[in-house]
Amino acid sequence: MLSYILRRLSHTVLVIIAVSLIIFFAIRLTGDPVSIMFGAGEPSQQAVEELTAKLGLDKPVWEQYIIFMKDLVTLDFGTSYRSNSPVLGMLLERAWPTIALALGGMAVALLIAVPLGILSAIYKGKSIDVFSRIFSLLGISFPNFWLAFMLILIFAVQLKWLPVSGFDGFSSLILPSIALGLILSGILVRLIRTSMLEVLKMQYVTTARAKGIREWLVIIRHAFRNALLPTVTFVGLQFGGLLGGAVIVEQVFSWPGIGRLIVDSINQRDYPVVQGGVILLALIMILVNLIVDLCYSLINPKIRTGRGDN
Amino acid sequence: MKKQKWIALLLVCMMIILSACSGGTSTKDDNKNSSKSSGENSAVKRGNELVIRVAGDPQNWDPIDTFLLSWSTVATSVFEGLVSRSLDLEIQPGLAESWEYKDEKTIVFQLRQGVTFHNGEPFNAEAVKFTFDRLLGDEGQKGPQYSNYTSIDNVEVTGEYEVTMHLNSIDPVLLTKLSGYGAVIVPPKYIQEQGAENFDMKPVGTGPFKMTDYQRDKQVVIERYEDYWNKDAIKLDKVTFKVIPETATALAELQTGNIDIMTRLEVSQAATAEGTDFIELMDVSTPTAYSIRFDTAQEPVDDVRVRQAINYAIDKETIVKEILAGYGNLISSFQSNLSFGYNKDLEPYPYDPEKAKKLLAEANIPEGTTLEFFIPGTDGTFKEIAQAVAFYLEEVGLKVSINSVENTTFQSELIPQGKAGHMYKNGWGGWTLDFDNTAYLMYHEGEFWNPSFKNEKVEQLLAAERATIDNDERQKVFKELTEVLYEEATEVNLYSEVEIYGVNKRIKGFQPPHDGRFRFEGVTVE
Repeated sequence: MLSYILRRLSHTVLVIIAVSLIIFFAIRLTGDPVSIMFGAGEPSQQAVEELTAKLGLDKPVWEQYIIFMKDLVTLDFGTSYRSNSPVLGMLLERAWPTIALALGGMAVALLIAVPLGILSAIYKGKSIDVFSRIFSLLGISFPNFWLAFMLILIFAVQLKWLPVSGFDGFSSLILPSIALGLILSGILVRLIRTSMLEVLKMQYVTTARAKGIREWLVIIRHAFRNALLPTVTFVGLQFGGLLGGAVIVEQVFSWPGIGRLIVDSINQRDYPVVQGGVILLALIMILVNLIVDLCYSLINPKIRTGRGDN
Repeated sequence: MKKQKWIALLLVCMMIILSACSGGTSTKDDNKNSSKSSGENSAVKRGNELVIRVAGDPQNWDPIDTFLLSWSTVATSVFEGLVSRSLDLEIQPGLAESWEYKDEKTIVFQLRQGVTFHNGEPFNAEAVKFTFDRLLGDEGQKGPQYSNYTSIDNVEVTGEYEVTMHLNSIDPVLLTKLSGYGAVIVPPKYIQEQGAENFDMKPVGTGPFKMTDYQRDKQVVIERYEDYWNKDAIKLDKVTFKVIPETATALAELQTGNIDIMTRLEVSQAATAEGTDFIELMDVSTPTAYSIRFDTAQEPVDDVRVRQAINYAIDKETIVKEILAGYGNLISSFQSNLSFGYNKDLEPYPYDPEKAKKLLAEANIPEGTTLEFFIPGTDGTFKEIAQAVAFYLEEVGLKVSINSVENTTFQSELIPQGKAGHMYKNGWGGWTLDFDNTAYLMYHEGEFWNPSFKNEKVEQLLAAERATIDNDERQKVFKELTEVLYEEATEVNLYSEVEIYGVNKRIKGFQPPHDGRFRFEGVTVE
């Protein structure tokens, strides 16, 4: 187990280097941030040069990269061009809202998809199955911004049950989570249903039934647990995606998340925030993937990490 | 199979019912739904506190570090300048009770006494000197405000409550510029003790409100400053500026009473807002003008006849009436009708497609010539305007290819480098409301946003209007300048912006500001 984790850590370092290289050079292709910071002003050549030097942008790109990586090792993500605040602080301010939203979205998706997926596999061909297949299709077809606005209009404006926007306590988490989760659940239902159908055909399920084990135990403990593998992989990847990719939902609900921060910073050419944000998201994705892989051995003891079987 | 069909039908019916329930969506097609919804005005529960929607966060509250409108929307209540500008755009005493021009390049200010900063520090001549040394010195020079104040050489303390400002050139717009942005007075002791980074996040000024809470990209809270020198004029206890970037979301917040005032309400939302009985709409002319600017270095728009023809070909009045629902003012020069320098006697180009065709024929422009029209991708309304323009130009034999590009690249690279096609969207609005700023940046040879235009006469006139502080003199120069630019047809002047505010009826005495800088004197709640 230990050697497995160490190997994964060394992979992590490689991935971070690759990601940082890509984002560092890619964003510098988008244009010069100094002219934007002067806006409508007519800065003197001297002012432009001084600001460029202050931001370290006058050095050759490779040198800038080395400085950036050196700082990164000490967890110094640099300073935002726009606000003069440390980037790490800005990212951490938004860590909790981002994670809360991703968890909320995932929870909604699982709460809908797991029962629906299992039931539609068990009662294949019956009404519940038909309903779940149509639901799945609708789920992936809805544009998420449309769904977000509809939720606000119905539940916040017309019914006044929930707040419209912003992150102010648990009730404000509900609508954004539904907007994120409903669409995700569409895909998840199909996945669980397919995996369950596969597993229900297996020998060991028939054996369990023959042994007289109650049906619901057969389904939950024997069938579903094995159907979990592809689901867990998918959920893990999606969770990472939810953390950084909920930009549209964040925009509609004025949610103070990392996705929105990165997009705004790209528009303003605020290099340090974009770099720091992307690398942070990459780190989180790697961590989530590691957890997912470790979960495998919990779900199916036959899959030992690091050791080949046979 | 039959079961499936029934279930599908049921689901479709549910969807239709759900959509019908949600009357008052904010998509462009739904203006028809205007049944008044009388909900309870829950905003009343807030009492003497206001919540206002703003679209963005300036990230940094230091006056010398910013040029953003979103800064001054809030900061106008926190900081003050020597001079103040009222909601009706009149220059009035601010932190200076009076001033006198000793000669064209020397102004003496008599400062108000008994004024304190929010941290208790006294306001005096030393604070004024500190402010301008900072603005004009190393720190200020790295920022975007410096270039607005280069006419000031230095500020001298000539008494405990008197300063003398020495100028190095004549600046007719200086007094206006002293009422905001880089010239607002900052506290010396506070900045020296706390440092610039802290000042960015926790600003301190002399204004009627002090900033008590700032959560980046979420909200700013300002509360009444009890020792304000004019505190009887302020009736409100607290104002919260909530950052809500999406207009549809902001409208929903307005309709539920969660916010009292919504800025930048879109034309398509006007009917929905009016449909709520505790909301009223207020509109106000702004300094922002919109035009389609020509890149005079590119054929065929290098020919003035072609530029004039395009001006005649577009029916601006119909565009404002139909696309903007009348929320826009027609203009004859690239400035708002509120701007000093606006020529009221000059009429905009009339809609005359026959004349347009004649001019194009004179210039030997073959039918079907294609023009590239660049617009920023984020502006949905302007996209519609661009399509209308393409239609009008097609009527006179020109083809238009509309290119939608990323906003920041458009502003900071494509336009300055002359890569924005034959014509492009141009919007400008100086808070100073004096044509000097716009005209210089747009028409002076070599300016950043002027890649190609040069004209001797225009240069002379620009120099002339800057050379005197006599407003009558300047008015005459501007009159001539606008006429020359009209003949040159440097752009198609479309309209000057009218901003729509959605306001909860419990707010009394509120006047929307022309320049987006809120003033709360005299504002009360029912």
